[in-house]
Amino acid sequence: MQTYLASLTPQHRRSWLLVVVYVAFLLALSWLDFGFNTAGQTVFRGILLGMLVFLVASGLSLIFGLLDVLNFAQGAFLLIGAYVGYDIYQSLDASIEVRFLAAIGGAVLFVAAIGAIMETGLIRPLYERPIFQIVLTFGLAAIFLDLVERAYGRNPKQPLSPPPLLDEKFTLFQQSLSVYRLFIIGLGLAMMIGVYLLLNRTRIGIIIRAGVQDPEMVQALGINVRRVFTLVFILGSALAALGGIALVPYQGATLEMGNQFLILAIVVVVIGGMGSYEGTAVASIVVGLTRAVAEQLSLEHFDAPVLAETSILLLMIAVLLVQPSGLFGRGE
Amino acid sequence: MSATPAPAHILEVRGIHTFIGEFHILEGVTVEVPPGSITVLLGRNGAGKTTTLRSIIGLAPPRAGEIVFNSVPIHGLRAHKIAQMGIGYVPEKRIIFRDLTVGENLLIAEREKGDLDRKADLIFGLFPDLKRLYNLSGGHLSGGQQQMLAIARALVADNSLLLIDEPSEGLAPVLIEHMMEAIRQLSASTTVLLVEQNFQVASQLAERYVIIEEGISVHSGRMADLVQDQALITTYLGVA
Amino acid sequence: MMIERTVYRSIDRIGDPALRRAAESLARLILENWFYGLVVVLLWLFPNIVADLSGSEVTPRRPTGESTFWQSEMARALVLACLAMSYNLLFGYNGIISFGHALFFGAGGYITFILLARVDRSYQQEALVLVLAVVLALAIFARPNVRRLVTLAVGGVLLVLLLVPSAPSMTFYQAAALAVLGSAGLSLLSGVVTLRLRGIYFTMFTLALAEMFFVLVKSGTFRNITGAEDGLGFGDLLPDALNPTPTGDGSRLQMYRLTIVFFVIVFLAIRRYLNSPVGRVIVAIRENEERARTIGYNTFFYKLLTMMFAGVIATLSGVLFVIWATDKRVHPELLSLKFTVDPLLHTLIGGVGTLTGPVVAALGLSLGETYLRNETFTLETGVLGLMAMWQFAVALVVALLVLFLRRALRPAIHRLVGEGGRWSVVGAYLGLWIALSAAALLIGGQIVPDLELRDETLNVSDLWDLFLGIVFVVVVMLLPHGIVGTWNRFWITRRVRRMERALQRDKAP
Repeated sequence: MQTYLASLTPQHRRSWLLVVVYVAFLLALSWLDFGFNTAGQTVFRGILLGMLVFLVASGLSLIFGLLDVLNFAQGAFLLIGAYVGYDIYQSLDASIEVRFLAAIGGAVLFVAAIGAIMETGLIRPLYERPIFQIVLTFGLAAIFLDLVERAYGRNPKQPLSPPPLLDEKFTLFQQSLSVYRLFIIGLGLAMMIGVYLLLNRTRIGIIIRAGVQDPEMVQALGINVRRVFTLVFILGSALAALGGIALVPYQGATLEMGNQFLILAIVVVVIGGMGSYEGTAVASIVVGLTRAVAEQLSLEHFDAPVLAETSILLLMIAVLLVQPSGLFGRGE
Repeated sequence: MSATPAPAHILEVRGIHTFIGEFHILEGVTVEVPPGSITVLLGRNGAGKTTTLRSIIGLAPPRAGEIVFNSVPIHGLRAHKIAQMGIGYVPEKRIIFRDLTVGENLLIAEREKGDLDRKADLIFGLFPDLKRLYNLSGGHLSGGQQQMLAIARALVADNSLLLIDEPSEGLAPVLIEHMMEAIRQLSASTTVLLVEQNFQVASQLAERYVIIEEGISVHSGRMADLVQDQALITTYLGVA
Repeated sequence: MMIERTVYRSIDRIGDPALRRAAESLARLILENWFYGLVVVLLWLFPNIVADLSGSEVTPRRPTGESTFWQSEMARALVLACLAMSYNLLFGYNGIISFGHALFFGAGGYITFILLARVDRSYQQEALVLVLAVVLALAIFARPNVRRLVTLAVGGVLLVLLLVPSAPSMTFYQAAALAVLGSAGLSLLSGVVTLRLRGIYFTMFTLALAEMFFVLVKSGTFRNITGAEDGLGFGDLLPDALNPTPTGDGSRLQMYRLTIVFFVIVFLAIRRYLNSPVGRVIVAIRENEERARTIGYNTFFYKLLTMMFAGVIATLSGVLFVIWATDKRVHPELLSLKFTVDPLLHTLIGGVGTLTGPVVAALGLSLGETYLRNETFTLETGVLGLMAMWQFAVALVVALLVLFLRRALRPAIHRLVGEGGRWSVVGAYLGLWIALSAAALLIGGQIVPDLELRDETLNVSDLWDLFLGIVFVVVVMLLPHGIVGTWNRFWITRRVRRMERALQRDKAP
């Protein structure tokens, strides 16, 4: 811990301070305004949302950090993950546990395959033209959305039932909740830790971090960076798909969920700083909390969810004014 | 396999033309590097010395000409393939990875598992400071330490040729001495192709030279002969 | 070529220098712009042409009939072309990637009609005072070139405000002028904030900003002001002179002609802007901003200027677009990503950085969509949605195989193609894919007879977005300079090669 704090630049130290102060402010505001129990429920919801957003945002951040491509299709990956997972769950004829696991596995594999094809076939050839890469992901996202709509229709899908093991109820802050929510949080946390370990304790992680800094030098060291690019892209898309299928038993599946989470992920990555893993993790929690608190505020005072949706964007604007390259970004 | 005489040169660059975008940077560069020697590329700023190194390692592939390493043509191969054949590259301005620790910087250079363990004695013998700084992040090293790390990194894998670009740049004189000693020691087991703007350093280190002027290799030979030839030095290198 | 040479040669023979210069500029004007002139004439006569082809009237009593229908479609397409041109100004010429352009487009309609509907008196005096104050402040504090440009722009707006007599309530023109001012102000504000940001952050910021306004406008909280998701109805607030609905008295035809004039003005204005000193700096910034800055240009100012100019054009286009709306409502969709993605698509497909590219793409695609709107075709699909479109899946799998086995296939392909070059290689892969897929489909067709297949009739309009997306991906991959861009380059390379051959002929004895 000591070494981490010591190794921070002054800018990052200030960012941590801002984050701590802001979160404390949010917690205090909730407690005072909503009362202890509602505040607790709101914070719990916020953390839940933060974990889901993290799954999409970490992929976005890693892909941008290494490939310098802003993958606008991350939201579409979440969407496809959700719908394909839903499809698998409904189509199989087996016990709930099996269907559930198959849905998760199938969704992640399917989207990972799409990610692999997309990177090798479409993005890699455009390596010389970064503008086109971004525009391409944008266009593909629209195509994917269209395809999903064609295949599954416009009507939202109802939430699936998770396995009974995960459907137990427990009480938190005087609210009866399904254990499934803890599952989502656990999943997000596991991914957070897992990716951290990948980046910091494995050789491939060293290569990725080096590649974020200088892909040319990594190539000159005898490492085929392009294969690493594909790997990171697959990882990013798989994480987004995981988020998507995890959502389905909680909230069902709608066509808008892709874009909704994309915007949130974009805000997270901008606030946290492009290519910064800690930034993404911290910002996910911050954004999740902000959104939950804002929603609760609008519910209690304004009777309309408008504030919630714009609060995130206002937060992003505020952060950018103070720190144009994100809280933990490489401010060049 | 028919018996072929051992190649006189470990690296042969034959009349390469390299473009950066639409700019014709190298207009015919020929370099011959005998094995086990230290050869230096000399020339004024912007002559094309760095581009030559980049062409060899494959980061700036030549549009014409040939590059042959250990009798194997390497022009047109992808950079990582060229590196894997045993060429180490130390770019100018010491591009070490600032967010990685010293240890990680060395580990990433491994081509076979255990390379670092095997070379540990050599590397920490040449650069004892690196052992002490093993867990420090690269961005916190001083300029001299970063340069040592950059060179050390090229030693981790089994490289038979090292391409080093301006190692003395920005270093204090005492550090330059240390660095030169290190290069001399490792040239015992590895061939070195150097780019060096500082003629003092170049003349003390290298055995052979090639002068590059405006993208063309114009002169080459033994360093011992060059230091006697003041006229040549002034013509091509400006001030000695 | 020949024509130009003969014309210029005959002009050279004119004795009087002044006359010769005049003749030369006239000749140049005609020779360089004859194509554009022809297009404008065609556009002008378009309703009549359609009327002749379809046997309908140009100005029938009721707004039915081919000619009147196509008048509104063409007008809408022209407006979208203006939007695409404004986007190209940012993207193609200035290298600014904005994903929030729809904000300015939608703002036009919304601000104009919100003001008209909710504001019940004319704020003309207050507006004049405010504008005068701003002009004074700028004149005192701003740098010389800022001063000149701002005073010009503001002077123009003042003129508009002054010319219209102080009515008891706000007139449409005042509201529209205010919308433009508002849009310029918005570009100014957002530009000041965002242009400090590095490329990618800027793009995402614009996306978020536009998204925010879209959400705000669509939300029920502001239903009284914006009409929420139903849109803002403005029925009778539109002045008669600009109302395209009555067709018997020629209103639609007149509005159509007005739209053409708008289109031509926008085109000429952008061209003038690009050929001006400012325009050249813009292009320099696109090529290498660092260098432009080191030379001494305040790149921030120039980028801001372009943003404001593009924003104003987008806003005016937005107002015009809304005028042509058939249900006389301003929909929140105008602020949605659709109206950022469409001009982006048109710019890319037409040709980034070409003047006519986006216009060609916008006109072609909008009109094409309308023309094909009612076409349908049938497809066999199964019950499991996309998964069971097995033909699709088979083709995809084969494509994957070919992609991943590229390295193994390479020697065979090259032996087949020889020295062909990139296009022949691509063609060979394509051919291989088609052949393998056909074989697999034929075999597969025998093996899966018991899948519940039914015929599904698909509407072209449903699939249009998908089609557009695919065209877009194909163009980005294969034609980086867009249709017009590739066309231009083709002619240029031909001319260059012809000159080279001529030079060699001259050199050889």
